[in-house]
Amino acid sequence: MTAASTPLLLMAVSLPLISVLLAMRSGWRGAYRYCLPVLPLPALIAALLTEPGCWFELPWLLNGGQWGMDELRRAFLVLTSMLWFAAGMFAIGYLKDKNLRRFCVFWALTLAGNLGLVISQDVASFYSFFALMTFAGYGLVVHEGTDEANRAGRVYLAMAVVGEMAILSGLLMAVQKAGSGLLADLPAAIADADRRWLIMLLLLSGFGVKAGLPLLHFWLPLAHPVAPTPASAVLSGTMIKAGLLGWLVTLPIGEVSLPTWGNTLVIFGVLGALGGAVLGIRQHHPKVVLAYSSISQMGLMTLIVGAALASADYAVPLFAVLALYVLHDGLAKGSLFLSTAMALPTGRSGQWLMWLLIALPGLSLAGLPFTSGAATKLAMKELLKPGNFEFAMAAYLPALMSIGAVATMLLVWRFLWVQGVTARTGSNPAFLWLGWGLATAASLILFWLMPWHDAMPQKAWGTAMVHEGWSLFWPILVATLVAVPLLWSVKQR
Amino acid sequence: MTLSTLMPVFALMTSLLASVIIFALPENSHWLRTVINLTAAGLKMALVGVMIWGVAQGREYEIAFTMIPGVEFVLRADALSMLFAGLSALLWLLTTIYAVGYLEDSPNRSRFFGFFSLCVASTMGIALAGNLFTFFLFYEMLTLSTYPLVVHRGTEKALRAGRNYAIYTLTGGAVLLLAIAWLHGLAGDLRFQEGGHFAGVDPSLHTPLIIIFVLLITGLGVKAALVPLHGWLPQAMVAPAPVSALLHAVAVVKAGAFGIVRVVFEVYGLEAANDLGLLTGLGMVAAFTIIYGSTRALYQVDLKRLLAFSTVSQVSYIVLGVCLFGSVGVAGGLVHLVHQGIMKITLFFCAGNYAETLGVHRIDELDGAGKRMPGTSVAFTLGAFGMIGAPPLAGFITKWTMGTGALAAGMDWVVVVLVISSLLNAAYFLPILHRLWFAEQQQCWPLERRWGQLETSAWLFLPPLITAVLIVLVGLLANMPFSPLSWAELIVAREVAL
Repeated sequence: MTAASTPLLLMAVSLPLISVLLAMRSGWRGAYRYCLPVLPLPALIAALLTEPGCWFELPWLLNGGQWGMDELRRAFLVLTSMLWFAAGMFAIGYLKDKNLRRFCVFWALTLAGNLGLVISQDVASFYSFFALMTFAGYGLVVHEGTDEANRAGRVYLAMAVVGEMAILSGLLMAVQKAGSGLLADLPAAIADADRRWLIMLLLLSGFGVKAGLPLLHFWLPLAHPVAPTPASAVLSGTMIKAGLLGWLVTLPIGEVSLPTWGNTLVIFGVLGALGGAVLGIRQHHPKVVLAYSSISQMGLMTLIVGAALASADYAVPLFAVLALYVLHDGLAKGSLFLSTAMALPTGRSGQWLMWLLIALPGLSLAGLPFTSGAATKLAMKELLKPGNFEFAMAAYLPALMSIGAVATMLLVWRFLWVQGVTARTGSNPAFLWLGWGLATAASLILFWLMPWHDAMPQKAWGTAMVHEGWSLFWPILVATLVAVPLLWSVKQR
Repeated sequence: MTLSTLMPVFALMTSLLASVIIFALPENSHWLRTVINLTAAGLKMALVGVMIWGVAQGREYEIAFTMIPGVEFVLRADALSMLFAGLSALLWLLTTIYAVGYLEDSPNRSRFFGFFSLCVASTMGIALAGNLFTFFLFYEMLTLSTYPLVVHRGTEKALRAGRNYAIYTLTGGAVLLLAIAWLHGLAGDLRFQEGGHFAGVDPSLHTPLIIIFVLLITGLGVKAALVPLHGWLPQAMVAPAPVSALLHAVAVVKAGAFGIVRVVFEVYGLEAANDLGLLTGLGMVAAFTIIYGSTRALYQVDLKRLLAFSTVSQVSYIVLGVCLFGSVGVAGGLVHLVHQGIMKITLFFCAGNYAETLGVHRIDELDGAGKRMPGTSVAFTLGAFGMIGAPPLAGFITKWTMGTGALAAGMDWVVVVLVISSLLNAAYFLPILHRLWFAEQQQCWPLERRWGQLETSAWLFLPPLITAVLIVLVGLLANMPFSPLSWAELIVAREVAL
């Protein structure tokens, strides 16, 4: 299937871009709506059916383009295309007729940017697609046109533009040092650069805006909830992961061990993981709770990036774990976001089943055995043993991860609670069922089917989930023991 | 006289002849005038295209004769001339199309198009001038031919702006003439020459050369709108939209910037200018202008006035690029000559469309215009993003090339200037885009006109669409041969052997 991957990857980007022509006549907007789930399909096929490792050059593009898919990018591509597919399906049923055409255009452009940045292997393409995603994403954030949406949009745009500038300056310095426009050449060049600290600071903070790094996260809880639900799902599920990808492909991870940077990033990660949970628990709107949960989860991923930055030897397995984590969190978060717009069935048993399906991706976030979350947790635990690392924060990592799991579960409880308060009963259009069902099914099943990197610890899979069952389960239990009486007392008041 | 010596003359004559014929035509022969205009513009495109091809192959087109002893009249097509000539030939064609639609049924069209062609002829002369004297001739001819265009409307405001324009540019011209004469006395008749004339010059000449440089830049800086010589530009936006488009994208400000490029590269020579410490000073002025123009643009309520201040800022990118002592950065400055042209002309076309179709002049009246005029608004959006420097558009290529060049030359502060300028550009363009696409229309359009199926007259609709496509293409395909970037790199390879 390798031969097919080049046209598929080209189509992955060009199909959404060309689809914009459907906006030329207002009469075509009905057709455009039904095209939304089709747009990410070439990327999805490429990600699931072709082998990673392919790449091709586009010498006429910008400063000379190179696109392709490797192991890491495949995980991002699976997540991105799968979630956009499900959300696109959902959007067909969700969208109202008002400004439909405009929404579809921005949807397609954002999608093209998001897919394109994943498969770009040269700096100019990557940065172009990143900017396309950022700016077109504004159209999704402010779509509803409310004052709240416009305010959120302003904050989003202001921070995004500043972030873009930081990225641009960092990339300029790195490219100048590397003497090459390929992303693959940047980490080594940055590792050797005289002003390594400045380049790293610019790239960390620039991409950090997108990734919701603490103190750069302000736009996130504002923007994610105000967007239409399918847009929130992709914003939170895949677009913030683009910031993480930016870190992974540019920072000198695996080139040099940088304990100071590693420690700092781990501290920021912990701050994000716990701070996101503390702030999220106090929210009253399910989508806002989920937005803070995203900050919290990105915090845990930041922590892993910190560990990889601190110890070059572990970069490869940690990348594998991050790939799994990205896929896990993105799909679970996407499913949870979509569920906020679903009406509950009227029947009692139907409601129970529905609640179970809503809760499962949440429990997966907290690491319930036999979910993608459990696999992620076990893999992290296996790798982040204190003995493996020498930097200062390493000793606290296992404890921090357990606290993180408890915090995650508390947030999931809070989400279910506010969701229960705001949920309505009634019927859902078929496309809502289809979109949400796809995201939920993907979240629960897809990770089993993916061929994961050899560097992934074997203890993450299969029987380990039984043997390690207790260590996975107790944070959930603790969080539940804390949450239930708390919620009960609130209810009594 | 062979064909190759005559090519530059032909290129010049097409618009000069067109101008004479148009002046002679009666006011109401609308179609004949349009045909002549478009034929001349098309012909010139073809001629310039042939010359570009020839120059790329290494051919020389030159004609020279002595005016008075010691002073030569030289027309020459080299790589640098072709950058400017190509831009003006292309944009002239589009602007003519636009102007035909814009001035439909308005009085004094013969006068307008006559001076319009004369103005383009001067631009062509500036591009092809082979020495400072010839350059000066056409530079002044440009001033005289644009004045009637600026005051075309004949309102009091227009006349005031025109007076101001004339005072600024004629004074600038006088300063320029003084400098040229002094330089002539010092070094004789200097042809533009690759690498310049003053490499390793006698130290006793340093002081006069520095003073002459300052005078030359002052003379040219008036048209290039370097702060503090920019005062005429924002006022001149009272001119009709096609004139503003031409003024801001091709003719006047570009003539100044192009002159600065010629002086630095081919009179002084990049190396000599650097040794004399002139580049740093010029770079500082350019950097200040970039920031100043963008900051002023932030506070404008009138769309065209905002675009005018944006021009002040953007044209100095070219000047700043020239001051980057290194082949990459210089190419970044040169390529912006073309990039700024197509981006700014798109924006002015669009501003004209909003004014002509909806009667909208102020930014706060643009709410919801994207729904009414989607094509124009897409073009405006691309132009604005290009100005911000968002990839993969034209402005990004400029910024990226200049940025890497500045870092290579060890001039890191330039990157800071570029970043601040981009932020300011985003700060004044993005709110407009929000109004276009996401704000609800609040009241009726001030003065709406309808043209059947299209959102506006086809004459007005097509030019901005074409230039908007160009903004995307010159960015996306920057690595192709004959892209503006490749051409700028070719110029640098030939002219500035660093």
